Amino acid sequence: MIDVLLTLASGPTPGPMAQATLFHYLIVSALMFGIGLIGFLTRRNLIIMFLCTELMFQAAGLSLIAFSRFHLNHTGETFVIFVLTIAAAEAALALALVVLLFRRQETLDAGVWSQLRG
Amino acid sequence: MDALVSPILLFGGCVLGAIGVAMSLPRKGLNPQVIGALIAALAGGVLLIGLGVKAGPSNLPNINFYLFSLIALGASLRVITHPRPVYAALYFILTILASAGLYVLLGAEFMAFALVIVYAGAILITYLFVIMLATESPTADQVEALSGYDRYAREPVLASFVGFLLVAGLSVMMAGGVSTLPETSNYAGAQNLNALPKKVETALREAKLLDANEEISRDKSGEYLIDLSPVTGGPGTVTIAFGQDRTRVLSTDHPDWPKDLRLTNVEGVAFALLRDHPGSIEVAGVVLLMAMLGAVVLARKKVELDEKAKLAAERRSLGDEFSPENSPLMGPAVPGSPTVREAPTRSLGEAPATVGTGGAA
Repeated sequence: MIDVLLTLASGPTPGPMAQATLFHYLIVSALMFGIGLIGFLTRRNLIIMFLCTELMFQAAGLSLIAFSRFHLNHTGETFVIFVLTIAAAEAALALALVVLLFRRQETLDAGVWSQLRG
Repeated sequence: MDALVSPILLFGGCVLGAIGVAMSLPRKGLNPQVIGALIAALAGGVLLIGLGVKAGPSNLPNINFYLFSLIALGASLRVITHPRPVYAALYFILTILASAGLYVLLGAEFMAFALVIVYAGAILITYLFVIMLATESPTADQVEALSGYDRYAREPVLASFVGFLLVAGLSVMMAGGVSTLPETSNYAGAQNLNALPKKVETALREAKLLDANEEISRDKSGEYLIDLSPVTGGPGTVTIAFGQDRTRVLSTDHPDWPKDLRLTNVEGVAFALLRDHPGSIEVAGVVLLMAMLGAVVLARKKVELDEKAKLAAERRSLGDEFSPENSPLMGPAVPGSPTVREAPTRSLGEAPATVGTGGAA
């Protein structure tokens, strides 16, 4: 592995438009999704939890764009438009709910609402 | 597992990342956030270097990729670790901007701009408004105080384990060898250019393939005679009219044919969205309309506080200087009398006249 690193270091530097492989983008997207999931599980503030779902949307969008570029097909990019749409709809509804819940209990703690019954 | 130098690198990177994220989440007692963030950054670096070594020098991404992904991942880590919601939202905007940079690197300019406008410009501003609306009013002596639910994370170790288990699983599924991204010039969709005669004409004029008195010929129904990717294969053709009813055929094999005559990203997205999936945009509109209606209905709903919450709201609204004993409106009050009990709810409400009569009594 060391000699490969050395050849990399001595080789020509990649130009401004040098392309990464597909997996470069996929792993960034997977890491971002994982971070969003961890945030959703650990944070107790309702608004931060919704921010973390947006983070996961973002990760999914990045991998969609990468796949779209890989297959030289614009359909993946158009799908991201719908991801944006759903994210906007979700933000509007979820935040209205959050404000409603906050007015009722004066707290954003998700644990307070663990007793919800239908 | 062919995209990485070795699977051990992937799993080691995931374990390192889980440890780092777990350490950087807010918690009680000793809080090694900086060390945790450094470990997480190290894990990300290990993964990316392992990828680069396997991909080889010719497929090494340029420095912008590393820059943008570093900013995106670092800012998203900060979103979930920052105890203050406003800062978390601002770091999320940073994540959005960095991902827009990655989109541009992938050649998706339209989506990059849409992302910045819609996400950073609209959605996140809504979040910021709600964060500022829905914060507990600070007490006089502790303006900077944080709520307990922002200070401590819930089960950081377990959640990090689960999260990075998912990352490892996803990576193993996706790592199917080094798959380089093809040239953008190979984008399918030369036939879409047939629908853009003005673009073709301008490009041909700039390449000096079309004189001033010539133009692209049309058939009797007015359709432009452009066939850039014939069904039968072979080079595409453009029929050019000049003079009276005289035409010549220009082939894409022509040495001067403009090589950069292809769809831009915006045009490609437009064709894919509006011609290939015309119904979907209507559905998106309906979804947005429903969301708007729902938000309006929810926001207009009057909240009925239960008794406990009502008492808590009263107590909050009564600051030290606003206690009914000191208030000029209330006048001298008998402690424990019904007027004092009711005064705060009225001052919260909308009837100042009743407050005045209460003071007279």
